Amino acid sequence: MELSILLPFIVNVIIGGLVLGFVYAIIALGYTMVYGVLQLINFAHSEVFITGAVVGFEVFRILQDSAMNGYLKLLIALLAAMAVSGLLNVLIERLAYRPLRGSPRLVPLITAIGVSLILQDTLRFLEGLQGRFDLTYTLPAGFGDKFCAAESTCAPVGNFLRTIGVDVQLKDVILVVVALVSLGALNYVVNRTRLGKAIRAVSQDRVTAGLMGIDSNLMISATFLIGGALGGVSGVLFGLKFGTINAYSGFDPGIIAFTAAVLGGIGSIPGAVLGGLLLGVIQNLIGVTNIFGNLLGLANLGTIDASYSKIGPFIVLVLILIFKPTGLLGKSNVEKV
Amino acid sequence: MTQSTTQPSTQPTTAPTPSQTTPDISGSAMLELGDIHSYYDHIHALKGITLKAYEGEIVALIGGNGAGKTTTLRTISGMMKPRTGTLTYLGEDIAGKPAHKTMQMGMSHVPEGRRIFPQLSVRENLEVGAYTITDRKLIEERVQEGFAYFPRLKERENQLGGTMSGGEQQMLAIARALMVNPRLLLLDEPSMGLSPLFVEAIFDIIVKLNKDHNTTVLLVEQNANMALAIAHRAYVLQTGEMKLSGKASDIAKDESVRKAYLGDE
Repeated sequence: MELSILLPFIVNVIIGGLVLGFVYAIIALGYTMVYGVLQLINFAHSEVFITGAVVGFEVFRILQDSAMNGYLKLLIALLAAMAVSGLLNVLIERLAYRPLRGSPRLVPLITAIGVSLILQDTLRFLEGLQGRFDLTYTLPAGFGDKFCAAESTCAPVGNFLRTIGVDVQLKDVILVVVALVSLGALNYVVNRTRLGKAIRAVSQDRVTAGLMGIDSNLMISATFLIGGALGGVSGVLFGLKFGTINAYSGFDPGIIAFTAAVLGGIGSIPGAVLGGLLLGVIQNLIGVTNIFGNLLGLANLGTIDASYSKIGPFIVLVLILIFKPTGLLGKSNVEKV
Repeated sequence: MTQSTTQPSTQPTTAPTPSQTTPDISGSAMLELGDIHSYYDHIHALKGITLKAYEGEIVALIGGNGAGKTTTLRTISGMMKPRTGTLTYLGEDIAGKPAHKTMQMGMSHVPEGRRIFPQLSVRENLEVGAYTITDRKLIEERVQEGFAYFPRLKERENQLGGTMSGGEQQMLAIARALMVNPRLLLLDEPSMGLSPLFVEAIFDIIVKLNKDHNTTVLLVEQNANMALAIAHRAYVLQTGEMKLSGKASDIAKDESVRKAYLGDE
């Protein structure tokens, strides 16, 4: 492959990685926030997230023949997924984790894995009742088109992007915008509001937070609500990007997003975002390793195609655990939630 | 003045003078503990503590390590539940009430070891201290009052709590507790690990608070000289039991107390 083709190709691989990375980032926030307040890795978060994707599928399915504006449908899907995933997460904490507060850390961890399995099969059962297993999103018209296609009003923008070799779909742009809005909202809540300060106080010292009149159980519930709602958002974004999901689709992105949270420094919000973006890019780059097979004459590399892409994040996980267990932005220099 | 030779930092002459007005201790007490028993799992930490604090008093709680001073404060504020006994505050039974509820009744607790939120700025620490206040204007007023009491905190306003010196953290812990303008202030070892200069500054503030706002103070101290110098009344604890109680000046003269806690030979 020649350099003139390779360069734009790599640029697009990186852009695709960043788009994917935003999905990982939003999922990773759910892990990192819960870890912040309870020092618990909520392995059920991957199912809380995929529940959001299923809710999104249902909303788009129910509204598929409606003449409603596509963005409005998306907004409804997002809000419904946030509500369901958020409340589900609160319920999980209340029923499964709170009774185990104070027991050794391994106990809630195993419970989390159990909750994860229960949710997977519950989701499968609920969709199975209607004879469905793989759920394919019926996206509003135009979402799958090229961003600012030649015939649209913003064609000049699209043309410019295409001349510099950037090739994205409208839904990718929507995904990034939704992710950025979510991050902005979370940042505001955590850093600027009374609720956010109370959550941070609880995550740093639960007992002393009580002495400030803060009901730590309420704040833990609030954290699960926010983390779950973000999981719902990421579920819809995941469905938007990949089109087809099922009850078991949460596992892979969940474990990668968890890796992203560890990479960034578990407990750190900026760390989760950074980790997610990095892993998205790394995963996409590993997936195109085969292009170097021709370029460098290393024919063996040619067999490393997209199906290998997920080893990227896990190699990173191993490296980070060996060389910097606190993560890139871990502990000392960032606030955790 | 024999006792001061061994501990130069606690010379009574340099200690702040106690409140001039004598609080009325004839009526009903603001805080009353009756035969309180508290446990850490199987360890019987408080073995029948009876104690009263009246509005406007500074009450010192002295005793050696493991005497139950901290446990007494933790039981009052609701950080732990007493197993038996009565605990009334402002006429209400608060035994077993969780801390976040008692703290909404005009009580503040500066815990042992200060417990500053290390990753919150000085200002945020104060704002969290004002969590039960919803009026933003009032919160800002209180933050400014805190800065007036402790100008050092104003200088460090945007610094993270965890990066401050021990003395500064103690000031912050007290300022944070004062954000709600408490009627009852529980202070656990405010002088621990501080330089003599800081200790004096902290004790000055306690006396000033008591005088200016009629704040009732329950003061736990290892530095018994200092505590008895500013307190109206005092209790002496030993291995979870109340050994002695009375006017602080009388306790300070007591032979056994002098030997055990005041460094007399």
